[in-house]
Amino acid sequence: MSKDADLVKKLQNPTLKDTAFSALLDAYQERLYWHIRKIVTTHENADDVLQNTFIRVYKSIQKFEGKSSLHTWMYRIAYNESMRFLEKNNKKRYDNIDEVSEAHLEVLFEDTYFDGNEIQLKLQEIINGFTEKQQRVFQLKYFDDLSFRKISKILEVSESTLKSTYYTTVKIIEEKIFL
Amino acid sequence: MEESTENNSNQNFLKERFKGDISKHHKNYLGTTIPEGYFAKSKMSILDKIKEESKIEAPKKQLVFWMQPQFKYIAAACLIFILSLTVWLQHVNKPAPINETNFELFAFSDDVLLESLLIDESEVEAFVDATLFNEVLVKVELSEQKLDNFILDNLILGDSLLDDYIYEGLIETIVL
Repeated sequence: MSKDADLVKKLQNPTLKDTAFSALLDAYQERLYWHIRKIVTTHENADDVLQNTFIRVYKSIQKFEGKSSLHTWMYRIAYNESMRFLEKNNKKRYDNIDEVSEAHLEVLFEDTYFDGNEIQLKLQEIINGFTEKQQRVFQLKYFDDLSFRKISKILEVSESTLKSTYYTTVKIIEEKIFL
Repeated sequence: MEESTENNSNQNFLKERFKGDISKHHKNYLGTTIPEGYFAKSKMSILDKIKEESKIEAPKKQLVFWMQPQFKYIAAACLIFILSLTVWLQHVNKPAPINETNFELFAFSDDVLLESLLIDESEVEAFVDATLFNEVLVKVELSEQKLDNFILDNLILGDSLLDDYIYEGLIETIVL
């Protein structure tokens, strides 16, 4: 039995749930935080969404059937919570991540926990200029260090397409940064 | 020299595979930081919030006083008592329905009087009516027919045979 499968089994057992949930936080808190932070931009927002995400995970874990991996399932919850948060706080409906990207840079400068230099800011701008699919592929591969196989399962895109998309984005970033 | 280092750093940009500290990686490449010890504090905060939510959800079931077990049993007992009382009151003033099976038992019973003391008056009356009809009236009718036949036969056969046909049971029947 894999580590995640064992963790899910414990999370679904009422007597072991709290202990297992603490282990789940240790394993996924940081990853999910950064995943959320890249969508909601500021630390304060990411902190709120992270809490909501884990509360939802805690409440919904009984319904988890294991059709996808635990990480994929939590990733989806985090993504949905992030989008819900943005819609609620900006009083505006975001139909896709492209619209979110426009708002992203405006908020970034207001964040206390952003002290990026010129090159870092430029990278943020370039990433935000990508399509939703490109952003997600790049972030999952580069920042979350997931294998192409796993990203393929998360995004339901073939591995060859993913590789092509990723290397294209990397090439664009390098070209734009070293212009 | 400084310019050369910066150029090397730029050339290595995105070449290094990320391993280990995600936060450091994000700081290096995106310039995003987090407060010191944030994840430890955040973990405690999430666990506290879950405990709070569990506490809020748990007493929901027992917020109403009568939903608590001690009240639940009392309420159930009262409900059963009231229902029983209602059913009993509805039947207590009604005349008991005549039980057909009892008549059959009485018909074949030798000690009818003794049993009649133990049963309801209305049942005894019904029994008497049924017995009179079934037993007495039919017997009388049959006896009358026998008597008619007997008189007719005597008219034809003669007086010498009269004594043979007179028996105790017949006389009793005629008397009745």
